[in-house]
Amino acid sequence: MFRNYFTVAFRNLKRNKVFSLINIMGLSLGISATLVIYLIVHHEFGFDKFQKDRDRIYRVVSEMHFPDQTLKLSGVSVPLIPAVANQVTGIELAVPFIQYSPSTITIPSTNEVYKNQPRLLFADEHYFNLIPYKWLRGNPSLLREPFNVVLTESRAKLYFGSAVNAIGKIIAYNGDVKTTVIGVVKDLNEITDFRFGEFISYNTIPARKDLRGNFSWDTWPSINSASQFFVKLAPGVSTTSIEKQITAIRKKNTKPEFAPIDHYLQPLTGLHFDPEYDNFNQHKGSKPTLFGLLLVAGFLLLLGCINFINLTTAQAAQRAREIGIRKTVGGSRRQLMIQFLSETFFLSVLACLLSLILIPWLLNLFADFIPPDIQFSLMADPHMLLFMGILIIAVTIASGFYPSMILSGYKPVLVMKNQAYANTSKTRKAWLRKSLTVSQFVIAQFFVIVTMIVSHQIKYSLSKDMGFRKDAIITMDRPFNNPEKGETLLNKLRQIPGVEEAVLAGSPPASMGTSFGTIKYTSYKGERETSVEVKNADSAYFSLYKMKLLAGRYPLKDSMKASEVLINNNYANFLGFTNPADAIGIVLDRGQGKVTVTGVLADFNFRSFHWSILPLIYTNIEANNGKYHVALQTGGKSDWSKTIDKIQSAYKQIYPDATFEYNFLDQTIASFYETEKNTSRLLGWSMGLCIFISCLGLLGLVVYTTNQRAKEIGVRKVLGASVASIVSLLSKDFLQLVLLAFIIATPLAWWAGYKWLEDFQFRDRISVTLFLLSGGGMMAIALLTLSIRIIRAAMMNPVKSLKTE
Amino acid sequence: MLLELKNIFKWVTVGGTRTFILKDVNLKVNEGDFISVMGPSGSGKSSLLNVIGMLDDFDEGEYHFLHESVHKMKEKQRSALYKQYIGFVFQAYHLIDELTVYENIETPLIYQDIKTSERKAMVADMLDRFQIVGKKDLFPTQLSGGQQQLVGIARALIGKPRLILADEPTGNLNSKQGEEIMELFKQLNKEGVTIIQVTHSEKNAEYGSRIIHLLDGRIEKDGL
Repeated sequence: MFRNYFTVAFRNLKRNKVFSLINIMGLSLGISATLVIYLIVHHEFGFDKFQKDRDRIYRVVSEMHFPDQTLKLSGVSVPLIPAVANQVTGIELAVPFIQYSPSTITIPSTNEVYKNQPRLLFADEHYFNLIPYKWLRGNPSLLREPFNVVLTESRAKLYFGSAVNAIGKIIAYNGDVKTTVIGVVKDLNEITDFRFGEFISYNTIPARKDLRGNFSWDTWPSINSASQFFVKLAPGVSTTSIEKQITAIRKKNTKPEFAPIDHYLQPLTGLHFDPEYDNFNQHKGSKPTLFGLLLVAGFLLLLGCINFINLTTAQAAQRAREIGIRKTVGGSRRQLMIQFLSETFFLSVLACLLSLILIPWLLNLFADFIPPDIQFSLMADPHMLLFMGILIIAVTIASGFYPSMILSGYKPVLVMKNQAYANTSKTRKAWLRKSLTVSQFVIAQFFVIVTMIVSHQIKYSLSKDMGFRKDAIITMDRPFNNPEKGETLLNKLRQIPGVEEAVLAGSPPASMGTSFGTIKYTSYKGERETSVEVKNADSAYFSLYKMKLLAGRYPLKDSMKASEVLINNNYANFLGFTNPADAIGIVLDRGQGKVTVTGVLADFNFRSFHWSILPLIYTNIEANNGKYHVALQTGGKSDWSKTIDKIQSAYKQIYPDATFEYNFLDQTIASFYETEKNTSRLLGWSMGLCIFISCLGLLGLVVYTTNQRAKEIGVRKVLGASVASIVSLLSKDFLQLVLLAFIIATPLAWWAGYKWLEDFQFRDRISVTLFLLSGGGMMAIALLTLSIRIIRAAMMNPVKSLKTE
Repeated sequence: MLLELKNIFKWVTVGGTRTFILKDVNLKVNEGDFISVMGPSGSGKSSLLNVIGMLDDFDEGEYHFLHESVHKMKEKQRSALYKQYIGFVFQAYHLIDELTVYENIETPLIYQDIKTSERKAMVADMLDRFQIVGKKDLFPTQLSGGQQQLVGIARALIGKPRLILADEPTGNLNSKQGEEIMELFKQLNKEGVTIIQVTHSEKNAEYGSRIIHLLDGRIEKDGL
């Protein structure tokens, strides 16, 4: 019997290719989104589930209390660890480890040098009680001795070609910390944040004076986030009792002049999600985001199903005859419902198969938003298959139940007499369908407007003048402070034909990092104290960046400590000077010394447009010139890549051992808006998706209405109406819906856009044109969707629609 | 007695007035009868047939089919009843265009939950009998009017019904095809199938043993 149903379903599919395709695509989108989001959620919630007794495992974290702020740190002071391990009762396992980032790793046996390898640890044998590894060679106890190292299999292969070859070989870190490989472990297969690759014995640190100092081995008041401390509690022990004991130890060992520190136990389960404490500089999951994604998935799936219901019931008329016959020939309502449900099942399976093709593409497209190393492989994740099966069944029931109720309910007699719609005067108004379509369009319109607002602001932010030149400027780091070399390179650079100007200074006018200090100004009016941004440059810099001096002169060059500074106009105003010239000569107290103001700079944006302009000073200290700034020739046929090559060779001549890296200033500034760009992209895709789904919904409504009004159209044509008049008659109703959606969506989108723009201190007005464009665009898309179907209906031969048998 | 209609009334209410489709219809049908129902347009012939065939309801009266009270039954029971005993033949054939000839004939059996192998045998028999074996994989649109009606009749017969209801079965056929169909009905009636047909044609009515005349929903003449 099911074979019969599937044959019919398949033949129906072929007959109505367009409709079936639309149905399948709509469902497929919902299913794909759900599967991708399920994949993400499953991945994120699957972190660190493999450790034994993980509900008893905690990380000891720290809170430092300063007068005006509290710092939360994921690490602890190194000397705290042995004190806790020895004195605190209730701890089954104490696992310290310190994250290590050596700049070079030398393998003497192969003469290879590796730079900036990630994920190394100093760890002891207890680490391997916490994280279960399979040992291919050696055993954990060998880590008791200093200057030993254990590698994961992949690292061993990288350095030595194989695990076997690695044993007994030497690895030198930063040139002179020499260690012997005494063990190799198999890489972890599980999803985890503990993805370290090399384990150097913990006791190596105290054995060397330089490492001891670097890692604050004996310093109680300092906390290095690299130094981590995990504990496994004995069964039944409460976290509060442990925390109390740790705090007591801390108190005993802290001098009163240092900032007080509290310690808390963070559960292992929170490691991947806790926004306040770092998880080894890796991607963190965010529970609110995940729940948001789940909501989105549910929403998309629901939309897909609703569209399916919409379209299927709209097409019901075409199947009325078949249904009548089947009933006459003995079909019961139940049997007919099963038939339609199996047709829906068939479509859902097809939609799911389509999703399987879509998913890798989707994962690629949204790679920026998706946690890295998510793999999609049905073989590796059997739970996916199970989930898909459940999904298909759920979708079948959700989408298929209502249509099959409707379809199986047709009375055969009415159908035989071609009066299947005799009682449809009740449903003629189609309120449910219309409100559904309107809400779909409201959402789509909302996204269109919001997307346009966001992209407009981004364009504005990138093009608006920030108060200094930002195009065709590159910056390079200065490897070390040698004034002679500095001068020499500057001269070389200035001689390169493609270079307009080159200077040495601190950071460019706008940069990612900030550097600030508190400055006090005392006058007869009183005291004014505030945080002030501190930058460093000389007059050549201001000329390169085309920045204006409003009053006074540039500061003289100091060698180590500032004596003269520039302030910006904003700071001058803050200090009470409306006329910049009045601020010349005042003295400011920087805590570490006093400085005199020699000039006032015109205001410029030294941060992204999220920030308003704040007080700022420029010192002119030779020692603080850490960057080269090079302005390239613009206009005409300036080939920057050639110029940069020449700059590189000049750089290499002066600093042969340094790596040559450069950044374009305008690119750096563009990266201020990375989040916004990502948002814009996501919005763009959401917008496209919503428009697509809305048009599907609209199509369903159009089909339904044209089928219903087929007789009316036929009569009108017989009475003399032209195709054009019928098209406008039908279109009018739908365009009214789109207009309604626009009216509802506009205030919502305006409010949302306004709220988002509040994040920006510098923003462009939201113009009326933007709204009109969005509305017009939607209208045009809707019209396009409608016209195909409506024109066909209007052109249909009235004989066909008016025929009664 | 196969079936009995007692004081059957059927009406529609339009505005405030009641228009009768069937008015006080009394009818007794025995097994083996061949009845022709005749009357002008709008006299209620098709409605009478639909009521007998349990495709439509009536508003007042009693209907007994094989001594079971149909008017007291729920839709499910009625469906089971007419599935088993009644076959319908329409003027417009009403075949499912998406199914082949074979599948069209097979459809009633599917709804009776008959096993695949049995179904195959029964359909094969039927195809043989009507000599349309070669056409079993064709679609209705590929057949002539007469052939389609044959398929319709084959479908009506496949469940071995006790009663066949035919609503102007030759209405869309030419005279020769019509004759063939009526001869077939005569043959079936000889084999014991009760037939009630609605017809305009006097000639077709002659094939039957009893003629009933309807006018305005009432039985004017019952040629018992």
